[in-house]
Amino acid sequence: MSFDHSGHGGRRRLGRRGFLRFGLAGTGAVLAPGVLSACASPAASDDPRALRVWDLFSGGDGLLMDEMIAEAERGADGFRIDRTILEWGPAYYTKLAMAAAGGRAPEVAVLHLSRLAGYAPGGLVEPFDLGLLAEFGVREADFPSAIWQRAQYEGEVYAVPLDTHPFIFFYDLDLADQAGLLDSDGQLVEMGSPEAMLEASAQLAAAHGSTGVLFGHVNDPSQNWRMFNALYAQTGSTFGLPDGGEPEVDIEAAARVIAFMQQLFDGATNPNNLDYDGATAAFTGGRGASIMVGEWELPTLRANGRPLGAAPYPNVFGQPAVHADSHSYVLPRQENADPERRREAHRYVADMLKRSFTWASAGHIPAYQPVIADPEYAALDPQSSYAEAGETAVLDPPSWLTGSGSNFQVRMSQAMQSALLGNASAESAAQQMVRESAALLDQPNPVA
Amino acid sequence: MSTTTSKVPVSGEPGARPAGTSPTGPPAPARRRRTGLLFVLPFAAVFVLFMVWPVLHGLWMSFTDESLTLKGTEFVGFDNYAEAFGDPDVWSSLGNTVFFTAISVVPLVLLSLAMALLVHTGLAGQWVWRLAFFAPYLLPVTVVTMIFQWLYQPDLGMLNQALDAVGLGPVGWLSDEAFAMWSIAALTVWWTIGFNFLLYLAALQSLPDTLYEAAALDGAGAWRRLWSITLPQLRRTTVLVVMLQVLASLKVFDQIYILTKGGPNGSTRPILEYIYDVGFTGYRLGYASAISYLFFAIIIIVSIAQLRFMPRKEG
Repeated sequence: MSFDHSGHGGRRRLGRRGFLRFGLAGTGAVLAPGVLSACASPAASDDPRALRVWDLFSGGDGLLMDEMIAEAERGADGFRIDRTILEWGPAYYTKLAMAAAGGRAPEVAVLHLSRLAGYAPGGLVEPFDLGLLAEFGVREADFPSAIWQRAQYEGEVYAVPLDTHPFIFFYDLDLADQAGLLDSDGQLVEMGSPEAMLEASAQLAAAHGSTGVLFGHVNDPSQNWRMFNALYAQTGSTFGLPDGGEPEVDIEAAARVIAFMQQLFDGATNPNNLDYDGATAAFTGGRGASIMVGEWELPTLRANGRPLGAAPYPNVFGQPAVHADSHSYVLPRQENADPERRREAHRYVADMLKRSFTWASAGHIPAYQPVIADPEYAALDPQSSYAEAGETAVLDPPSWLTGSGSNFQVRMSQAMQSALLGNASAESAAQQMVRESAALLDQPNPVA
Repeated sequence: MSTTTSKVPVSGEPGARPAGTSPTGPPAPARRRRTGLLFVLPFAAVFVLFMVWPVLHGLWMSFTDESLTLKGTEFVGFDNYAEAFGDPDVWSSLGNTVFFTAISVVPLVLLSLAMALLVHTGLAGQWVWRLAFFAPYLLPVTVVTMIFQWLYQPDLGMLNQALDAVGLGPVGWLSDEAFAMWSIAALTVWWTIGFNFLLYLAALQSLPDTLYEAAALDGAGAWRRLWSITLPQLRRTTVLVVMLQVLASLKVFDQIYILTKGGPNGSTRPILEYIYDVGFTGYRLGYASAISYLFFAIIIIVSIAQLRFMPRKEG
């Protein structure tokens, strides 16, 4: 489907297992507690003390998470985990918000860091106890500061990032080499300007024979926004969405960015009309030299054996910036939180962070820096070549209405889609984005 | 429930008491009514719990600023309704729903009738046609949208490849605002026409042969029999099909949500998606309820209007 690509193994498949588990668990809860729910999750029903964890990892990510949890459950002081996988998208965040509002949420849940502004102020998630985390070996210094900053609200830490998952640039190593775009270390050269990027795309197209850069955006809820957010931040501008105010957007810079996107995807050198699946299928089918997409597509893209290079999103406008988000652990609000289970939740989060080398194999950049510093990580190819993207990560503007799976991303992406398809000018798309942002900001804030 | 073998008195049977004269219990009709109520109770309880109560609760919510989050709820009177009337997104998405209904109902009724007539004429291999026309209806929405997502692919899709083969340029089936809703309607016709087809086929098969024999004796040709017998006899079915179809089309949501998410640029966003967006991704349950109630009112009006057209008797 075209809307479940979000940075958690967004392969084109429904999270069947998760769906079944959730469905069965739900049915079990209603109809026959202890009977049906036993099939849903064995660990759950035998042991009422099991830690309940919600996440949105399906596909390859889901399998890796299974592996990490299975390891964590081994041993004398192993965990008892009752994992529920839910499909990413607006529905995940609705379910989590409702569970937290009702006070019967799981002990631990995964949240995109970009959504925290919609959860922390309303009290839907509770702060971590940093002392407790430190006891289990996790400290502020272990995280990139760009990400750690966003994990806070009013001086407290509400989220512990597991990874950073940026929107990056994948390319066919051989074609990039032919196009003369690799430096002596075999890494992609710096771009530095819009002209250089356009030139590079033309060289890639020439090397490939038809298409330089693939990008799927048609009817996708996030893709245009991801690219825009990176490029706009590179111009040094900020996209402000003050609560109860007017959007603070540099329209001229926004229009410049969209005009550049129009030039890059001009329909000749690079197609402008692909959707998400079409673009990834085109790349794996050899119909283009490179693709701009989230790193979570790594397993899909390398499945066909093309020599694959990866780089942080090219710096085109001067200031290094890469659009990213971060799967983070949060403690959803519980009516009667049990201190013992809270403690166990802290221990579990710390444990998962330390296992995030496994997590990195799908493409995500571990947020826990000791894993990155390990020589083992440096040997991961191509993951290590975009690890620095974590340092220049730019998330959505902080606001309750933004973030992964939000209506905001959909509206912004749709406004830009018209421009990319040639039905609107860059200026009018930029104006539409501001107009739509203003309309969204105009709504009463439901979480304040 | 009691299982006493109290015999229902049969009138005319010797010893049958006249109704209402039982010396031991309440009058028979009352008892029967009570037993009937007991039978209805399980359904009624579920109906009240999952249908009546949510409907009433939704009505109440539409007068509040209820949020999915922890924010307290306040009574806001008609504020939500006033906001909905002034919200251009409500009107544009309502317009999209109405447009979709218009362009989907017509083919879904006419084509299904034509298909049923063709199959009914005694085409060889009836079961093949019946199966072929009905099979898509059995597919889940996710499968249908997956198939069409690839058919409609701008670059590799079969439709654009076919256009290319005959020398025509590609069409943005789901990305061009002028085409997207039509593409969704085409998918919907392919997917759901089987149900209407089946209704028509059943109606055709129940038409009495005698009418046709009489007409044939009177020298009526095939077209004449179609116009003067078949179509008038199908009137009630047509009214039923149109009514069900209009309601089904007004409810359009899932295939659009999966395929275009309302895009490009909101041109396929139906009102139900807007309600969903407002309520579940915007957390504004109160406002979403108000829009739902406005839409509910429209559906009621449409249904009443259609009922008035429903012929009271056959023919």
